[in-house]
Amino acid sequence: MNESVALSGSLNFLSLGDIIQLLGSSGSTGVLRLINRYAPDPGFIYFIEGNPVNAQNGDIEELDALYSLFGWVSGSFEFTREAILADKRINKSRMGIILEGMKLLDDGQIKKVGPATTSDKAADMKRLLSKTAIVKGPLVDYMYVVDEEDFFDNEHIVEEGKHGSWIWVILEGVVDIVKEVDSGAIPIIRIGDGSFIGSMASFLLQGHIRKATAVAVGNVQLGVLDSQRLAQEYAGMSLEFRTFLTSLDKRMKQLTDRIVEYHDGSIQTTEILKDKKVLIRQAKPEEEQLYVVKQGRASVVRNTENGPVVLCHLYKGDFFGDVPFLHLGQEPEGATIYGSENIKIAKIEAVSLQMEYNRLSTTFKNIVDNMATCMSVTADIVCRSLNSKKETAADLDVRQGL
Amino acid sequence: MAIFNLKKREIECKVVYYGPGRCGKTTNLEYVFKSYKKQVTGEMVSINTEGDRTLFFDFLPIGLGKIKGCDIRVQLYTVPGQVKYSSTRKLVLRGVDGIVFVADSLEVRREKNMISLKDLQSNLKEYGKSIFKVPLIMQYNKRDLADEGIPLMSIEQMDRDLNRQLKVPSFPGSAVKGTGVGATLKGCLIETLKSLQREFKWAK
Repeated sequence: MNESVALSGSLNFLSLGDIIQLLGSSGSTGVLRLINRYAPDPGFIYFIEGNPVNAQNGDIEELDALYSLFGWVSGSFEFTREAILADKRINKSRMGIILEGMKLLDDGQIKKVGPATTSDKAADMKRLLSKTAIVKGPLVDYMYVVDEEDFFDNEHIVEEGKHGSWIWVILEGVVDIVKEVDSGAIPIIRIGDGSFIGSMASFLLQGHIRKATAVAVGNVQLGVLDSQRLAQEYAGMSLEFRTFLTSLDKRMKQLTDRIVEYHDGSIQTTEILKDKKVLIRQAKPEEEQLYVVKQGRASVVRNTENGPVVLCHLYKGDFFGDVPFLHLGQEPEGATIYGSENIKIAKIEAVSLQMEYNRLSTTFKNIVDNMATCMSVTADIVCRSLNSKKETAADLDVRQGL
Repeated sequence: MAIFNLKKREIECKVVYYGPGRCGKTTNLEYVFKSYKKQVTGEMVSINTEGDRTLFFDFLPIGLGKIKGCDIRVQLYTVPGQVKYSSTRKLVLRGVDGIVFVADSLEVRREKNMISLKDLQSNLKEYGKSIFKVPLIMQYNKRDLADEGIPLMSIEQMDRDLNRQLKVPSFPGSAVKGTGVGATLKGCLIETLKSLQREFKWAK
């Protein structure tokens, strides 16, 4: 794409410490840009002859910004060679910065920003999901954008319960996804540039009904996607992959519904968990395997400090287990799978799914990735809404007693 | 995995001091830094990690020759022993070319030495290296404490404890006084360069 990009890749593969050493030993001058889907802005580090001279992460600058970027354990980076005119604001030696950064990370003084992997990250996620938490998508692929539309502050883009099959990508601006209930609207998630509005179910079935309402926060520019082209691509996929996508979509829908249920307090975790056998235990990935439910019911449950939280239920045809190419933030790292008495499961080959995933068009891949990110974040919101529910439960009891 | 810097015609390799907490890794490196000042390039980086300090500096060995006309630059590191410093350990141990295992001669630390060595083995394994193949040197540190009447293990016993299977070169030392520090480092560099030479011949 950009010709001046000299080096780019994934932070999962090459950590910031390694990149700084690499740029250091090659004595490069330029800008290192870091992109993390869980952070609202990209991070920048400026290098002169291999030494970092300044950095920026959101509002913070200089050395503090550079240290904070060590917490970006996932995401992507790109280094562009260009002349740096900025002042030298960082004077610490390269290796000193790296070792100090790693130490701060290990000491827990730097916040890790990435998909939730274990339950002890719950505290981090809470902070992350403050008002500013916005799920951003990958760079927009304009190939599939057929039209642009503008929406003004507070305008409804789609409304829950109405029919519609358009899919939009947010070109600029922020959109709130909410569920309408009798008592008003329950916020589900806030999404930003590169995220998608409308689910894959749009081209799965005719006459798709919207599952939630999307409201513009400030002025928003949307790109209408070529749904015919996407539907064609979808039609050309293997049955296995389509089932996989449908299953993903079902999970997303359930997670959204769950927020509403926990909000109403209309769910009893302990009853649901009765007489179930554990199929995969949270944070103990003994084997990386993908399964499909053949019969019976499986439940995805996250263990939190405040007790187990049911995220969703899986039925015949749904998959569970380790998906090597997507970060769902659920099992195996972030959730346990329970099976009903009569459950039957079969192993599936993740390799063929992965190959098919890799062949997807950029836009389709973006939709799937964005959905995975949203699922990971929504799962955390589910847990949070239960926890905040518990905190206010005492108050409620009193009020109900009156 | 040494790094070839073609611009500077240098081969950069990494030597790591490993060992149980308070065994004298840091003292070893501080002594090297002080006594071989001329061969040290740049400053010493010192990070306070819980229970230990993590040190780093660049070192230019003299009199060990060149490889294929390239100068050799050695990065010397200590690694924090605490379990929680996994990111630091990973960064330091990745691509390590040579290791000095500093063992504590105090009788009461016998078990600590063995645990740490075992730990080194499993850490190396995680990064795809075998403790039997990586250039490794042992230093039995704190020999000077015998003069003060503190019970120490004999060299023979330490060799039996730690070096029976590995059979790597070992040196007695006293990092506080500087005895054996140079010999240990030199021993490790020789082993490291030998191993690099082997690699290049194999690659030819």
